[in-house]
Amino acid sequence: MASLSGIWLVLIFATCAAGILLSALFGRRRAPLVVAIVGVLASVFIVLASATVLINGQSYSVSLWMLDGFGQFTLRVDALSSVFLAVAGIVYFSISLFVRNFLKDRRAVDYPAHRFGILYFALMASVVLILVASDAPLFLISWECMSILCFLLINYDVQEQSDKMAGYIMLAMSEAGFLAVVIAFLILGRNAADLSFAALAASAGTLSPGALWGAFLLGFFGFGVKAGLVPVNFWLPRSYTAAPPVFIPVFAGITLNLGFYGILRLNGDLMHASYGAGVLALIVGSITAIVGILYATTDSDMKTMLAHSSIENAGIIVAGLGAFFIFRAWGEWVGAALALAAALYHMVNHSIYKTLLFQGTAYVEAATGTRDMNRLGGLSHLLPGLSAIFLVGCLAISAVPPFNGFVSEWMTLQVMLRSAVLPSTSIKIVFALCGAILALTAALAVTCFVKAYAMNFLGIRRGAWEPQLQARAGTRFPLVFLAVICLLLGILPTYILPVLNRTVEPLAGASITTAVVQPFFTATPDNGQLPPAFLHEFHNIGAQSGRGLLPGRGLVVMLRGLEANPVIFAGSPFYSFVALVILVVLAWFVVTRLTRRRAVARRPLWAGGIPRLLPQMSYTATGFSNPVRVIFQAIFQPNITEDTRQTVAVHFRTAIHRQREETHIVDRIFLEPVGAAVRSVANFLAGMHHGRLNAYVTYVLAFLLLILFLYRGT
Amino acid sequence: MSFWFWHGLRYGIRSTRYPAAMESAPGVSPGRPINTDFSSLEEAQLAAASCPVGAIIAHGHSTFVDPGKCIHCQRCQLSASPMHWDSGYEWTRRPAKPGEAEMLPAPFAKSLHIMVVDAGDCGACLHEVKQLNNPFYNMHRLGFFFTATPRAADLLLVVGPVSENMRGPLLKTWEAMPTTRRVMAVGSCAINGGVFGKSFMCAGGVSSVLPVDLEVPGNPPPPLAVLHGLLVATRRQPLKKVESITEGRP
Amino acid sequence: MGAHSSPIHESENRGGDKTSLADLAAALQGRFVDDISPNPVKDGFALSYLLMQPSSLPTVCSFLFWDRGCPLGGIIAEEQSDQWQLHYVFLLPASGWIEILLSLPLSATTVPSVVAEVHAADWHEREIEDLFGIQFEKHPRLGDFVLHDQIWHEGIDPMRKSFSADQPQLERRVDPDWQPTLVVSDPGSFAMPVGPVYEGGIGESLHFLLETVGEDVVRAIPRLFYNYRAVEKIAEGKTVTEVLLLAERFSATSAFAHSLAFCQAVEDVCSVEVPERARLLRVVLCELERQRHHAGAIAAICTSTALAVPAAHAAIIEEELLRASCVFAGHRYLFGLNRPGGLSRDFDVSDCESLLLAVDNAEKQLRILDRRLHFSSSFLDRLEDVGVVTGENARDLNLVGPIGRASGQYCDLRKACPYTGYEQLAFEVPCETEGDGYARLRVLFAEATQSAKLMHEAIGALETGPVRVPCEEGCPGAALGWTEAPRGAALHWVRLDEKGLVERYRAMTPSFNNWLGFHVAAENFAFQDFPIILATWGLSATECDR
Repeated sequence: MASLSGIWLVLIFATCAAGILLSALFGRRRAPLVVAIVGVLASVFIVLASATVLINGQSYSVSLWMLDGFGQFTLRVDALSSVFLAVAGIVYFSISLFVRNFLKDRRAVDYPAHRFGILYFALMASVVLILVASDAPLFLISWECMSILCFLLINYDVQEQSDKMAGYIMLAMSEAGFLAVVIAFLILGRNAADLSFAALAASAGTLSPGALWGAFLLGFFGFGVKAGLVPVNFWLPRSYTAAPPVFIPVFAGITLNLGFYGILRLNGDLMHASYGAGVLALIVGSITAIVGILYATTDSDMKTMLAHSSIENAGIIVAGLGAFFIFRAWGEWVGAALALAAALYHMVNHSIYKTLLFQGTAYVEAATGTRDMNRLGGLSHLLPGLSAIFLVGCLAISAVPPFNGFVSEWMTLQVMLRSAVLPSTSIKIVFALCGAILALTAALAVTCFVKAYAMNFLGIRRGAWEPQLQARAGTRFPLVFLAVICLLLGILPTYILPVLNRTVEPLAGASITTAVVQPFFTATPDNGQLPPAFLHEFHNIGAQSGRGLLPGRGLVVMLRGLEANPVIFAGSPFYSFVALVILVVLAWFVVTRLTRRRAVARRPLWAGGIPRLLPQMSYTATGFSNPVRVIFQAIFQPNITEDTRQTVAVHFRTAIHRQREETHIVDRIFLEPVGAAVRSVANFLAGMHHGRLNAYVTYVLAFLLLILFLYRGT
Repeated sequence: MSFWFWHGLRYGIRSTRYPAAMESAPGVSPGRPINTDFSSLEEAQLAAASCPVGAIIAHGHSTFVDPGKCIHCQRCQLSASPMHWDSGYEWTRRPAKPGEAEMLPAPFAKSLHIMVVDAGDCGACLHEVKQLNNPFYNMHRLGFFFTATPRAADLLLVVGPVSENMRGPLLKTWEAMPTTRRVMAVGSCAINGGVFGKSFMCAGGVSSVLPVDLEVPGNPPPPLAVLHGLLVATRRQPLKKVESITEGRP
Repeated sequence: MGAHSSPIHESENRGGDKTSLADLAAALQGRFVDDISPNPVKDGFALSYLLMQPSSLPTVCSFLFWDRGCPLGGIIAEEQSDQWQLHYVFLLPASGWIEILLSLPLSATTVPSVVAEVHAADWHEREIEDLFGIQFEKHPRLGDFVLHDQIWHEGIDPMRKSFSADQPQLERRVDPDWQPTLVVSDPGSFAMPVGPVYEGGIGESLHFLLETVGEDVVRAIPRLFYNYRAVEKIAEGKTVTEVLLLAERFSATSAFAHSLAFCQAVEDVCSVEVPERARLLRVVLCELERQRHHAGAIAAICTSTALAVPAAHAAIIEEELLRASCVFAGHRYLFGLNRPGGLSRDFDVSDCESLLLAVDNAEKQLRILDRRLHFSSSFLDRLEDVGVVTGENARDLNLVGPIGRASGQYCDLRKACPYTGYEQLAFEVPCETEGDGYARLRVLFAEATQSAKLMHEAIGALETGPVRVPCEEGCPGAALGWTEAPRGAALHWVRLDEKGLVERYRAMTPSFNNWLGFHVAAENFAFQDFPIILATWGLSATECDR
């Protein structure tokens, strides 16, 4: 049924089609402008398409044509799709502008931007289709289109063989995942009337637990390929490293989320994941997080590091989703709402700051010609604006207040602690362990991004490169826009959470707004939502001093516990931020007044009295992360070979060269055994191919006899 | 391992009461020759000739000692006409052309951070400066601290005649200090090159390289002499008047 | 570590064959009949051979060092009016010093390097190349040693006679293209600079480049000679008195030992017999210096591990010994006591008795400290198996002193080549084999005990008599003087001309020998262990730099 809101969907697809046409028509020199203008338009339409649902809570659908055997194709924007659409819209907005600015700053005249434009808009259309499809065939077709388009976008501008290989690995894994997802949908649709999502949901209610488990596993790991879960994520670092800098923000900010969408749609909406499935999701998420961050901390290539960091964040989100399934299975609706809200919030945050970081990395690579953190350094003097923005991204991803990462990581860890309300001890132990692992990943993430910021921007220049961009590069609107959103998402969670509530409430059964965002400042003792004793206490200590003055929403995030402990936590990110700003301004004021008469002298770096501090004397990224490498040696299991050249005798070593080879733990544990098994089976089967005609005739005869035997009765 | 706590308590407090009271334990200072009057010209000449570095000048019947040159070799004490020696240790003096007119201002009086640089020192002066941290002298009770970085230092304490290879690092250290700073040259090598003098490899004293504000003569000056120097630098003790060669001459 | 291991008591003649000088002479002449000829001019050595073929230098030195177990004392380079003379000094334990003399015309610029066979000659050759300009063929690492390449031009050669020590200040520059020679080539490796203004507290000026990939030190490159004052150059043309002052004061923490070695060399040139009383008193003063130095070294080790109470206790012991030295001898560091021909002053019975009281008190305190430290497991954790120097490395690099003795390289000049009265006294030389920091600490404690014992013995054996005989100036000649300084074997070689002025003065110090081996101890240990290894090594940069 097409309502007025459906016009947005039409506009989106029309704009994408226009974008494809215009990119092809205008050729490579004007294509970036097309991408910018048309992309901005399309992303605005995407946000508007989702806004109606998010604000009003009313979903709408548009029916398309009917195909025999497939059923009615319908497009439906409901609560779950809207949140993903909104994020996609914001990220596409920034990326569309970024592509044009970046190509202009780099003065890349021969860049095949028209090819990029065509594929970009096609990908945008398929992403929107995935998010709004409300029947399985349309969903699956657009999923497949998205996979292929991603592959094409990686490979359209590739130079090196290893990058091409990366694209093929990604394609292969995408296809394997797709196959799994198809089978999952088919299992679900065994008793369905047609293949629309509503029918599948109804059919899922009639299936046996075994079938449900099968659907869950296939769907989880099938979508897990796109979401970057262990053990099917080994394509991710390779592809992210190989992807061209204009495409990778899309990869990291949008297509990763499709995996989460798929998991949530399948297990949250179509079928209710069981308690065991939730435990599996939680454990897999936690392991993914720790493996991701370990490899991120020890990597010295910026893009690979950010790829592993994406894996880490994906793990945190999926751990949150697993917690959601578990709480829902036990009937703890508030806990489920909290968990889902945490996961969705983290998904939103991750899209924003990861896109920001990848855009910053693209600028760093364009400015210096290298991504190797061991050879960067000192960029804060050359590119001060980019340095500040990258710092915002690093702070956000390290979960430092007042930025957005803090809110979502905090909520995720609170969810882990909330497992105290669950009755079973074993599940509490699982939560405790996973919570500990997530806390460790949070700490390692700080290390990783301190290294990322410091090694690139601070210190002295370590490699022999010359800056190739102007100082103002990297400070343009798209990055600043994302940085500001990082800040806003961090200081205004009390406005974001009610918006997320539109998605959370239908799925979790409880409202996150009532659970977490209380109208604290205006609450009076007879307010039914908060216990009066608690309100009295808070009033007496002056915590309600702003009553009548400050916004009614209160801007206070409050976690409520049980009777014995009514409030676990109450805090206001917004007011803390305001207080921080006031204090900083005050401090700056005082310091400048006090030191007005003092001259500040700038002297050369103190380095122990040596004449010059040479680049090879300053700390490298590898050196910074070496302690992590040493402590977690059991996971990395490196193979170090040392080659020493010496003259005369052992006493005079002239060169020591150490080669360090390591295989990723996922490759070691999963890929290599599977690959070895497949190869051995293949070798066994290859034994059958003699090339001799007589053997083949025998095979045909044997097979005929088998068929005759099997169907002897009929 | 808690026995270290009791072990330390058992040995009690060993700190000297200086500057509240003069330290008179034997062996705290080697002492040095003081201006001596002789009964004859020949004796005075003999006393002056016994000094291998020319620290003693005979003028008539009297001899005058330049404390900055004395290296405590004791030849004048063991010669045929021995000089008188005193056993004090308050030897700090201002150089002829000091770097700054005043000592460090009042905020530094009870909290002084000292950067020690070894600019070719033989090891004795550095060792005596290190002894300031031992329980006998315990300079922390007076608010003196050694820093590891010149960025946080108020006083640059230089030992050694400034070898050529250390000239650059010494200058860099001084330049890295914030501008309320003073330089103290400890030891006769730091004052005038000592036995090494001036050569292609030795600058002949810190004053050739940096503006010096205080000098502590001695070879090496005992820890109490260095402590006295630090107290003078923070205006907690006055300089001792020493009858110099130029003053005594008619 | 379980039981407190007692030092190994070695017999007197370990470290070499039991051959006497005559046997060695016969062996040398038999084996190298075409290459060497005995040199009638002794120059102060027990055996002196003139090398006829420069190319056989490596084989002769290798034969002495490896086959006969003669440690290398050092290499002395002399520019005479018509030729270069290079003296290669070896010690035949329990017998005496052997010299291989190489004479070259002044126009010659290269000498075959012995470093391929005798690694211990590495730094000696580098120093000669830097200061004299003589190239050593096939030495893999010449240059940037004493005169740092980043600051000094090539070709200055300050030790040549043509260079005047009083030259006005030379042109200074910092070479903008200078790069340190780094060895590790890992993708993320870097060389952490430490010093020269040492930031760990108060320390001597030395510079390290610690090549690492982050946790452990893969290669430690020491760059010394920041305290180089060209003592050997300044000494040329000065009187014996003036050079005695230089010899005493270039490294004050072993001032007495160095001044004693110099005086012994001069006494040998002038063929003066030092009176018995002076010889025994010299033993007392040497051992007093040794005990005080070891107390200070123990304090430094405890400070480096941040164990405050024993560090303070050891510092108290050291200060009490410094005060006792001042009361006994008039100077805390024993300056001004040695003269050619004896001592500058005498000491009476009450002086000696109060000294012994102080020494016994110090010894008792050190015993207590030793026992307590043995039970401090966190302290021992930092020292055991850290900074290990194996016995082969110690032998190979000719490490001397307590460092060498902690790695099984027993060679104490007091036993191997006794001087100034040690031959009449009974004492032991402690020796360990583990070669780690704890072994070095144990050797220090044991030697301090032996020092106290020696002081008692020497004072007990004192008889009345003069403490000095006149040593007339004006006798030409050259001789070698040696002592076992607190850090190891110190050799001073001096050549006097007809007017009695010093023509060439060479000081070969134990720190110079031992710093060569420091990188072996520091490599493959973590950064946190580096200051502790430095403290257990206990060497002096200024003694090496001169």
